[in-house]
Amino acid sequence: MSDEQINLDGGQTRMEAAYGSDDGDNDSSAIVAKKEASLGAIFEQNYRPWDGNLGPRWVRNYAIFRHHVFGLFTSKGHRHYNPFVRLTILVIFIGAISPIAMLFFSSLFGAGPDSFIDKMWGINRSNLWGQVLGYFPRNLCYWPLLTALVVGGMISDDRRNGTSAIYFSRPVTRVDYTLMKYLSVAVVLGFVIVFSYMAYYTLAIVFKGEGWGFLIDTLPMFLSGLLCSLLLVITYTSIGLALSSISQSRFFSAIAFLSIIYGTKLVALLIDLQFETSILYILSPYDCLAHLGQWLLGLELNYSHSLSLSVVSLIMMNVISIMILISRVSSLEVTRE
Amino acid sequence: MSEDSKTPSVILENVSKWYGQVMGINDISLAIEGGVTGVLGPNGAGKSTLFKLLMGRIKPSQGSVKLFGIDPWSDTSPYRRIGYVSESERLYDWMTAQDFVSTLARLHGMTREEANARAEHVLDFVGLHDVRHKEIGKYSKGMRQRVKIAHALVHDPDLIILDEPLHGCDPIARTSIMNVIRELGRQGKTVLVSSHILEEIERITEQIVILHNGRLLALGNLYAIRDLLDKHPHRIMITTNEPRKLASAFISEEPVYGVRFPEDGKLEIQTNDLSAAHSVLPRVIVNSKVSVSRIDNPDDNLESLLGYLIGGA
Repeated sequence: MSDEQINLDGGQTRMEAAYGSDDGDNDSSAIVAKKEASLGAIFEQNYRPWDGNLGPRWVRNYAIFRHHVFGLFTSKGHRHYNPFVRLTILVIFIGAISPIAMLFFSSLFGAGPDSFIDKMWGINRSNLWGQVLGYFPRNLCYWPLLTALVVGGMISDDRRNGTSAIYFSRPVTRVDYTLMKYLSVAVVLGFVIVFSYMAYYTLAIVFKGEGWGFLIDTLPMFLSGLLCSLLLVITYTSIGLALSSISQSRFFSAIAFLSIIYGTKLVALLIDLQFETSILYILSPYDCLAHLGQWLLGLELNYSHSLSLSVVSLIMMNVISIMILISRVSSLEVTRE
Repeated sequence: MSEDSKTPSVILENVSKWYGQVMGINDISLAIEGGVTGVLGPNGAGKSTLFKLLMGRIKPSQGSVKLFGIDPWSDTSPYRRIGYVSESERLYDWMTAQDFVSTLARLHGMTREEANARAEHVLDFVGLHDVRHKEIGKYSKGMRQRVKIAHALVHDPDLIILDEPLHGCDPIARTSIMNVIRELGRQGKTVLVSSHILEEIERITEQIVILHNGRLLALGNLYAIRDLLDKHPHRIMITTNEPRKLASAFISEEPVYGVRFPEDGKLEIQTNDLSAAHSVLPRVIVNSKVSVSRIDNPDDNLESLLGYLIGGA
């Protein structure tokens, strides 16, 4: 066996060469691994400094926002939403824009302004109010469920897992953290509630071929409804995030939100039926919004108590929720204080 | 040199922190700049409280904490220059390491391209390049610790705070993480690392901070601190078949002021000047013609130092 056959310069020992040989029946020489073959590796830990410029505050805040909102579409690099949650949100969105389909059929059949389809789904005060504040199915099923699913783990997950430390060990203030969480929830709710409302109004005009006169007639009603939808998004976001911030379980915050929305409504309804007074509806976030919405859209009021009580109650609900949210976020990761 | 570059990364001035009646940190003043510094102390010594103060998680009851000259409780701007690895922090298990680290890079305001490139580099640095597209939930404890270090490094911080980074890691992961920490120190970063595992701190750095019951017991070079402990002489343990003969040869040497025979075949030499004793050691052994099989410095390590300082040894 020659030195060329066992190349010691290549780092191969004679034992390794022997292991590399065949059975020896055909050739008496060992088959040696190539010189460049690797039998091990040493990793060089070579740290390379970064000389770029870190972005300003709004870039960092946008990163928080997109992390939460884009997670609805893809979990790659973003917050994880369960596929069931995504599917439910899609179903709710489709449900919210379903009147558009009816208006489309109405335009295909050439139904007149007094037709059943137009009365049910056409643009008028009641339907604009109902698109946002109608009880069934929107405020019984769609909006509370949508809010519960979106806000459920928004802060409670961070609270349980300690992942808020990921934010607070970076140049992210608690104000930025809270604002971006709030904005993320509001944008998702807004996309379903406000966008579907705007789409409904716009496409109704397009499908029915309405002119400027109709637009001018209905625009104040539309804007009133738009204000109602924004108030609904703000109120539900405030209450939902406050509940998320006080818990360590997404289930608790979701179920607590549903309990508040349905529970207050149910209690007020029972009192109303028993004692014929609507005053307890001021405890129900939905009814306060519905009351205000009826007034804004010029509808007959269903409630016997003063509108100002509903407005004050609505303001109080938002203020208390935001105070709870701020208080709880201030204590996040601040231990034993 | 700018004013900023003169300011030590970490300054604590007369800092105390009480949790009700319990003292977390008691009147600590220190300044740390450059290289790796080990923060040591038994459970309840105040290590975690110190790190929470540095990270703005708690407000000092008294005194001031400054990072790069800024109070982190009221201003988050120092965190642009700080990387922090928490002991208990959870990660986003559904994300791949690459996605996770690049997402956190974007929290520092990097663009998507910068964040991806930088995430790839730091994951390579901590030895996770090949598995960076695997979900973090599938990682071992050691790999998760390295992901934490990677996300702390992604924005190239000047100060890196590592709270028990070796906790729960297997020996290979520990070695890898220690290499990373040493390399960061060599790069001129200020690295604060806490650990209960004294030997491993010894392998990482000689620069230490020792805390006990919330008080700062010692700060500085491990061996310099050891030399300052006059009441505890240095010991040299010699294993030999003729300890008494060797002892008689040593006792006349100036640096040696005492000898003991702790067990059969062992001679313990006591000295206040370890280096001087070691310099005479070969000559005395050769002259005495005694066979010596082993020479140790049993108390010239961190464990002994910690024991002496907190009175447990």
